[in-house]
Amino acid sequence: MRAHVVYAHPCDDSYARALCDTVVGTLTGRGWQVDLCDLYAEGFDPVMSAEERRGYHSVPGNTAPVQGHVDRLRAATALIFVHPVWNFGPPAILKGYFDRVFVPGVSFRLEDGRVKPAMTHIAKLGVVTTYGATWLRATLIGDPPRRVMTRAFAHAAQPDTMLYLALYDMNRADAARRAGYLARVKAKMETF
Amino acid sequence: MRALIVYCHPREGSFNAAVRDLVLAKLRAAGAEARLHDLYADGFQPVLTGPEWQGYLSCPDNLQPVAGYVADLRWCDTLIFVYPTWWYGLPAMLKGWLDRVLLPDVAFLMPDGAHKTIRPGLQQVKGLAVFTTCGASWWLTRVIGAPGRRTLLRGVGFLCAPRKKHVFAAHYLMDSSTAASRAAHLGVVSRRMDRLIGRVVPVEVPFAEAAE
Repeated sequence: MRAHVVYAHPCDDSYARALCDTVVGTLTGRGWQVDLCDLYAEGFDPVMSAEERRGYHSVPGNTAPVQGHVDRLRAATALIFVHPVWNFGPPAILKGYFDRVFVPGVSFRLEDGRVKPAMTHIAKLGVVTTYGATWLRATLIGDPPRRVMTRAFAHAAQPDTMLYLALYDMNRADAARRAGYLARVKAKMETF
Repeated sequence: MRALIVYCHPREGSFNAAVRDLVLAKLRAAGAEARLHDLYADGFQPVLTGPEWQGYLSCPDNLQPVAGYVADLRWCDTLIFVYPTWWYGLPAMLKGWLDRVLLPDVAFLMPDGAHKTIRPGLQQVKGLAVFTTCGASWWLTRVIGAPGRRTLLRGVGFLCAPRKKHVFAAHYLMDSSTAASRAAHLGVVSRRMDRLIGRVVPVEVPFAEAAE
């Protein structure tokens, strides 16, 4: 398998980094090829420009501004996002990755005005995330990031395996809960 | 009424700009005060940086990098978002405004000894409006679960006064919109603004030429 791990967190000493290291380490240990895209370290620009917006539907020219990211995504058979949830969504830098890289012809095609999947090279789609909110509050709000991932992106990729791992109420998670979640992520990646 | 409009679209002359202008005209005609955050025009930087993340909980130093935006947020009693829906949610630019401006001690209060969970911090905001455009249909948006609408009306709404007014309007299937559908939608926005303001404020609804 060739896994593309897209990671979004500004700090190297963060818990998110530990989760990312666990994902990359476990998959590499299984003999997978892993291509890590660290959006902050790569200085990814999440802002779609006016010119990009104008050319959004012009397949295949629409990929030119982010061609490197599109090529890496297309080479993958597994796609895993590692990020914290901030304000009921992914960090802006990751939302911008979706806005700019998941363009028509890459993640979906429009046929007669209908959205058709175009990311079907992705057999396994995974998310490893943390929430500040409790599970109850996130669910009452409707858990927007879970919905986008397990419905919209899962539709675009039609994966055989869809995995959504979340640690809720992160701010009050003690060392034991954090270690427990890291172990759970490692176990899930062993069988992903 | 003191309204803060957070507007996000890359292209001047877009349909979202027409919605923004109508919202501003309604507020002006109602005698309300209005401030505008035009994120693309401002060149707003949406990426929360490492130092900002490290100082996230250090109030009030945490608001220094976005002090002007925070001042407007604290000033307003009505919050209005105008933006296109991309991937069922907010454009990165607008998501970054949430990430960097909705800070602890500004938008919410972190758990402490006496309180177990996060508490709302925007109790002065008594009106919330969301105006957007979607490429997807109403039906598909609902199947996905309308994440953008939930993020703002429920997520940000949770931070505001509990008995606030809130209004929402979306033009669906924007890519196949017509002059007639856009004009009709501006009529909807106008009526939603009347509801937010609390009375009918007559303004001329412009003819919408621009798409998206």
